[in-house]
Amino acid sequence: MRTIVCMLVAVAALTAGYPQAAHGQVRAKAAVTCVSAGQVLEYDCTIRLANARSGEPLSGLTVSVGADMPSMPGMHNVRAVKATEQAEKGAYKVRLELEMHGDWAVQIDLRGAVRDRVISMLRFEEADVTDVKPSSGRRGH
Amino acid sequence: MDDYLVSVLSNIGVISFVALSAYLLLLTGEISFGQQAFFAIGAYAAGMATAMWGWPLALGIAWGAAVGAACAVSLGIPTLRLRGLQFSIATLAFAEMVRILFELFRYQVDIDGEPVGPNGTDGFRSIRYIFDHNIETFDFMMLIYTMLAVTLAGFMLLERSRLGVIFRMIGEDATLASLQGIAVARYKVLAAGIAGALAAVGGGLYAHLTTYVEPRTFDVMLGVHSLAYGLIGGLGTALGPLLGVVIDVGLLESVRLFAGYRMIIFGGLVALLLIFRPRGLLDERLVNRIGRLFRNAISGSTRTGRGSR
Amino acid sequence: MLDVSELVTTYGKIEALKGVSLHVAGGKITCLLGPNGAGKTTLMMTIAGILRPRRGSIKLEGAELVGLSPAKIVSRGIALVPENRLVFPEMSVRENLLAGAYQRRDKSEIAADMERMYARFPQLKERREQLAGTLSGGEQQMLAVARALMSRPRVLLMDEPSLGLAPLIVAEIFDIVAALNRDGTTMLLVEQNAHMALKVAHQFFLMEQGRVTFQGTPGQLAEDEVIQRAYLGTRRAG
Repeated sequence: MRTIVCMLVAVAALTAGYPQAAHGQVRAKAAVTCVSAGQVLEYDCTIRLANARSGEPLSGLTVSVGADMPSMPGMHNVRAVKATEQAEKGAYKVRLELEMHGDWAVQIDLRGAVRDRVISMLRFEEADVTDVKPSSGRRGH
Repeated sequence: MDDYLVSVLSNIGVISFVALSAYLLLLTGEISFGQQAFFAIGAYAAGMATAMWGWPLALGIAWGAAVGAACAVSLGIPTLRLRGLQFSIATLAFAEMVRILFELFRYQVDIDGEPVGPNGTDGFRSIRYIFDHNIETFDFMMLIYTMLAVTLAGFMLLERSRLGVIFRMIGEDATLASLQGIAVARYKVLAAGIAGALAAVGGGLYAHLTTYVEPRTFDVMLGVHSLAYGLIGGLGTALGPLLGVVIDVGLLESVRLFAGYRMIIFGGLVALLLIFRPRGLLDERLVNRIGRLFRNAISGSTRTGRGSR
Repeated sequence: MLDVSELVTTYGKIEALKGVSLHVAGGKITCLLGPNGAGKTTLMMTIAGILRPRRGSIKLEGAELVGLSPAKIVSRGIALVPENRLVFPEMSVRENLLAGAYQRRDKSEIAADMERMYARFPQLKERREQLAGTLSGGEQQMLAVARALMSRPRVLLMDEPSLGLAPLIVAEIFDIVAALNRDGTTMLLVEQNAHMALKVAHQFFLMEQGRVTFQGTPGQLAEDEVIQRAYLGTRRAG
């Protein structure tokens, strides 16, 4: 118990000494919508990227999209696929091939003018794809 | 290097820490279904340190390891008195408790106009250290493997040391070990503490690798796998659990043939091994045989003994 | 040297030892005979500190051992070769021997003792890098004895060293017991093999149902009667 208290004190001291690092970099946010691509476990996803602060669309980036299952860390990895930029500003399209139905963390890696990673939690089911809401409980292995 | 390969190798590296953590406890004869709890604690603690408090990565991971070790020791003192199955169930219960606590845990600060921090079941996103500091995924993978190499070297030293022999003695027969004058309980708590720190280091690396964690990342699935890695790969050397990880994450991952049947194959593999090779592929007998061959080759000895029966 | 008095050890409500008293004389071989379930192993485990007695005392040269941890008891100079769980099977012979010297720090002396053990038990030397679990039953028993000696005990407790061994090997084990005693080791030996035990013992105790029912020297009681009482009346060749 004493060790834990000592550690907490040490942490408090350390945090006090560290000012919050100011990050000047652009952060991205993404809106992802997916629909079944006809084949089982294949989905077409449209990703709309924007500057998280200004809301301005982010175009001209190299975007690769992968996915993994949060319920099985490091076990199910979907090979990242390059997304193709669309005519609509900030929009990219990608086809995902998943291993099973369930909740996936879609991992969007940006390169080019902006380097960032945006995570989007989606529930992939036979017919449709929905956003995972915080209160939706645990699903899918 | 291909991005996909980097991500698979990074995963193998990170999971190896949990596997080594479970392996260390297996050495002392304890089966823990709860090492994922310390992985979670390490992930949250290190993530909070870098993403919310602006600490450097190394300090964040060290802090995560310290918290993991402290929690493991405080859990170990009451539970290691329990025997066998009771201990296993206690660890499982603890891990589920930790997971549910993280589902309730909300603590966010505002950074660059965005809330950052653990947010209940939604998890802890934006652990963006490697993006804020422009660390390439390849470099981060190298960092993982450097730390893994250091850990492995530590295990190699441990196995040659007095402490390592003590751990093995306790694991093989705790009563017989105490008859040699070993304070068994104290060493078990020590092993639990080291194992907690190891899992927490893995968690800290994992959080920064994926940039997000959420409570269900740390459910019992991870604990069962990390336990299975040692049992598959072998308990004779620290390379055993790593072999287990490579077989599961590496081989089954890359051979897409098994896609949806992977868990079935994995379960079957564990069952088969427990029947035919209860102490795993690289078990003590194999390691001993290789060691003796190696020594004979070095000394150029003409006698190889009468062999084993 | 070792004095046990009025020792009571229970498993739950069952009294396995119902007030056992005995004296082990320094430099002598003391044998403990009795049928299965008489409480012999319980007594050994209680002396070694693995089991906690309900009442009574165990004194080594006047110093109380009851209440000490097994580790402390080893450091006071008591080594037990337990029944049936002899060696660490997945560790080499050499590592098993070193395990016995766990509480010692004198590296050069430990190395010298290792050589002494190898000289006394040549089979162990030959197999020193082999895993102990691959040894034969007799060799494992020898390893267990050698390991106990590595702690330089003042009193060596042996629980059924002849259990499950072929007659030739049993004879060898008893030769070793006699030789160790000639070198000055005090021994308390639990045996089922009354014939062999009476040959080497200086004094012996009979235990039945948790009590000591006879104590004396081997000449005091006819071997036949000892055997009969040690096996609860069934006559068997020793």
